[in-house]
Amino acid sequence: MEEEQDMSPVGEERESGKLRVSRRSFLKGMGVSTAAAAMSQAVVPPLEAETAPLVKGVREATIVTEINGRKYRLAVKSHWTLLDVLRRELGLTGTKKTCDRSSCGACTVIMDGKAIYACSLLAIEADQHKITTIEALSDGENLHPIQAAFIREDALQCGFCTPAMIMSTKALLDSNPRASLTEIKEALSGNICRCAAYPKITKAVLSLAQKA
Amino acid sequence: MISEFRVVGKPQPKLDAIEKVTGRAKYSSDYVLPGMLHLKILRSPYPHARIVGIDTSAALALPGVKAVLTHKDMPAYRPNPWMPLLTDVARFVGDDIAVVAAVDEDTAIEALGLIKVNYQVLPFVLDPEEALKPSAPKLFPEGNLIGGAPTVVSRGDVEKGFAEADIIYEARYKTPTVNQAPAESRVSLAKWEGGRLTIWDSTQGPFEVQKGVAKALHIPMSKVHVICEFMGGGFGDKGYPGRHQILAALIARQTGRPARIELDRDEYYVAGLRRYAAVIDLKYGVKKDGTLTAIQTKVFANSGAYAQFAAAALGVMQVPMSVYRCANMQGEAYTVSTNTPATGPFRCVGHPQGTFAQEVHMDIIAQKLGMDPVELRLKNYARLEDGDQFRKIPFTSNGMEECILRGAEAFKWKDRMKVASQTGPVKRGFGVAVHACSHGGMMPGMPLSGMVKVNSDGTVNVFSGATELGAGQKTTMGMIAAEELGVLFSSVSVTTADTDMTTDTGATSGSRQTITGGTGVKMAAADAKNQLLDIAAVELKVDKKDLSIRDSVVYVAGSDKGTPLDQIAAKAPGGVIFGRGVMKIPTNVFFHGFAAQFAEVEVDTRNGHVKVLKIVAAHDLGRVINPLGAENQIEGGVIQGMGFGVSEDQIIDKASGVCVNPNHLNYKMLTIKDVPEIQTIMVESVDAVGPYGAKGIGEPPYSPPAPAIANAISNAIGVRFSELPITNRAILMGLKAAKA
Repeated sequence: MEEEQDMSPVGEERESGKLRVSRRSFLKGMGVSTAAAAMSQAVVPPLEAETAPLVKGVREATIVTEINGRKYRLAVKSHWTLLDVLRRELGLTGTKKTCDRSSCGACTVIMDGKAIYACSLLAIEADQHKITTIEALSDGENLHPIQAAFIREDALQCGFCTPAMIMSTKALLDSNPRASLTEIKEALSGNICRCAAYPKITKAVLSLAQKA
Repeated sequence: MISEFRVVGKPQPKLDAIEKVTGRAKYSSDYVLPGMLHLKILRSPYPHARIVGIDTSAALALPGVKAVLTHKDMPAYRPNPWMPLLTDVARFVGDDIAVVAAVDEDTAIEALGLIKVNYQVLPFVLDPEEALKPSAPKLFPEGNLIGGAPTVVSRGDVEKGFAEADIIYEARYKTPTVNQAPAESRVSLAKWEGGRLTIWDSTQGPFEVQKGVAKALHIPMSKVHVICEFMGGGFGDKGYPGRHQILAALIARQTGRPARIELDRDEYYVAGLRRYAAVIDLKYGVKKDGTLTAIQTKVFANSGAYAQFAAAALGVMQVPMSVYRCANMQGEAYTVSTNTPATGPFRCVGHPQGTFAQEVHMDIIAQKLGMDPVELRLKNYARLEDGDQFRKIPFTSNGMEECILRGAEAFKWKDRMKVASQTGPVKRGFGVAVHACSHGGMMPGMPLSGMVKVNSDGTVNVFSGATELGAGQKTTMGMIAAEELGVLFSSVSVTTADTDMTTDTGATSGSRQTITGGTGVKMAAADAKNQLLDIAAVELKVDKKDLSIRDSVVYVAGSDKGTPLDQIAAKAPGGVIFGRGVMKIPTNVFFHGFAAQFAEVEVDTRNGHVKVLKIVAAHDLGRVINPLGAENQIEGGVIQGMGFGVSEDQIIDKASGVCVNPNHLNYKMLTIKDVPEIQTIMVESVDAVGPYGAKGIGEPPYSPPAPAIANAISNAIGVRFSELPITNRAILMGLKAAKA
């Protein structure tokens, strides 16, 4: 059975001398069962015989997801992450990839009001959900107050983690507008800023929480 | 006092902040091109192995694979003296064996598994001192000690110095391999079109990449266009042409399709240039009054498989041989190849390692003498007149004493012993460390340049080869140009790091660009201003020397009524004014970033947890160009340096040579929750050479936190630590050993 072949890539990679046991390969193996679980809830057409998967174990699915207020019908593969779809398929490159293993937070977006790591959500899991990315925050030249505060307080250096830091801040302040210093630090502790502009980030977020 | 400056010294948010907060900033990793191929590297599973055979036919046969290259296909070019592009001898786990180019990432990854490599596994060595033994496996035919002999530096008579000493203290210190871990990985996208190569690269040195690629592909520099408009950090790792840019360029040329490579995070951990681990032996002789009589040191730098610097160990040794004045010094530096990942700079070349060792050593000496650690440092620090004893060049300014005194005052150092007796399990402690190391070099033959264009409406474009890697280089260049020209900062736009549009002013490394790039821009702005005043003198029929420009308005001396700059700029004979700044650097000049940092910590003796409560960071910046950005730099450096002190360690398994924590989860960086109160003090010693007296601030904040924290921990619990990082486990082990 094909499924059985799908379950082995981790071991195969070790043998072939490849350094990494990648999360993606792991998902390729695991993806079938995960996908099956998700598919039972989602409206997905059955796989056609002629859509031969390029890589073993890869299935295609169609998801309907609202991204930045717009509904998308997306053909995705079962091992693609939401981050893959945002950056690669939709060109929404404001959401960044740093670790790709849910340990840095650079890919933080908001799903149904909650900050999530887009690198660790399979695209098929975003089916029927509402996603907001950094691109939706400003209205043309009119910046969101969080963005304005980040600029004013110099709450960034290289800026690579900044969109995610702002999305985590938004998720926090949307649900807790008068967040305390402890709550701010807790909410942003999943976002690594290697430049460590943390004192300025704290100041920017605190200025908003104190104004609310 | 009213500042003589209009722009310099005023807090300025970043010029490119809007792009960054909106997610519109396009980093090199954000570019996609139609038909783009994706590159993946086959990496060695062995720390040391000869490739006896390699069969790529199955990988090449996989639909979607467009190229597979191995060492046999590579030009002789090496990114550094030891590193081949693709290797026929694997020298660390993760060494680059082959590259696959395919239509998508998944296919490339699958193709990697189809390459058959026949390895002849060789014995390996991971430790630098082991690697120096005659029986050790050799990475290179010439042996593992780079240069074949240690570098020996001496001054005075070290034996005489020890004979004069009342106390001699000797100890060994160790620092681990640490990772720059910038948010953006190493990424390159190469496009070959019309005989010209364009590379979007995440690089601190666009011109270094341009030169390297031109050399590797045997094409003229004019045919290589390197762009890095936005960059997700570098911290030293990305200052040089590496393997990946060249591989992308080769594939793009061979296939005629754009080729993109981005190292996955686990690859980045092993495939970049890590900060080399160091073993540092220090032996200091000191009189009862605290005067240093002799400094002897031996440094072993573990430079990994491919050292970016032959002088890696010398960089460490520079610290004990230059920070304090001492007539008698002797040092031996060993830079050693081992079967571990390649190494290079990370917020300095060797100074964080050396500063940790020296500042803990000095603290112990103070304790032995019964002397205030601050007093000991004040007594011995190298004065302005001493100059840089290591490089034998004068200091361009020296704010060390002010850093120590103002830092101690802000920290209330004198009150530190007034803490109530500590009976509970959580102990409080206080520590200090100073730092004085050369950075931001101007060396003969090194590029220094900048360009300024004044448009017919009086607005200004600045072009600098500096890379904006997060430290605010764009803003700094814009501020310097605005100050020099006398224009409003809001009228200035800045273009950086584009080899077609800007000029080489050295890689953005070594805390350099405020000084070198800044000087280039300042000279260019002065040149443009001179041309503007020539035009104004004719237009306004006045003597040129009576003219000045302020806030984009031209004034004649003695009159408050000015002429808007656009009216003058519009009269430029060529329709535009173009200012050039370029300088032949006559002699070696190094800028010294003096600093004193003070740390207050709490150590929980039950679980070994160290909580840093406060850091006071006093730094000599020469002149502060942008106080907002400078403060951000200092705070960021302090926090990164704290991580070096208590948590960061890239661990290589001794049995297999495998890096066991190549990810952001197990490589422990500090988060926002670990950040203490940080008070920055900016000392302005007004440098004799830097623009407006400015010096760099990129690297200096990083080195002092680790020793200041180590000293504070010792002050709290009475246990000394000579090895980094000082983790919870280390604290508990230290407490246990002290009890025994």
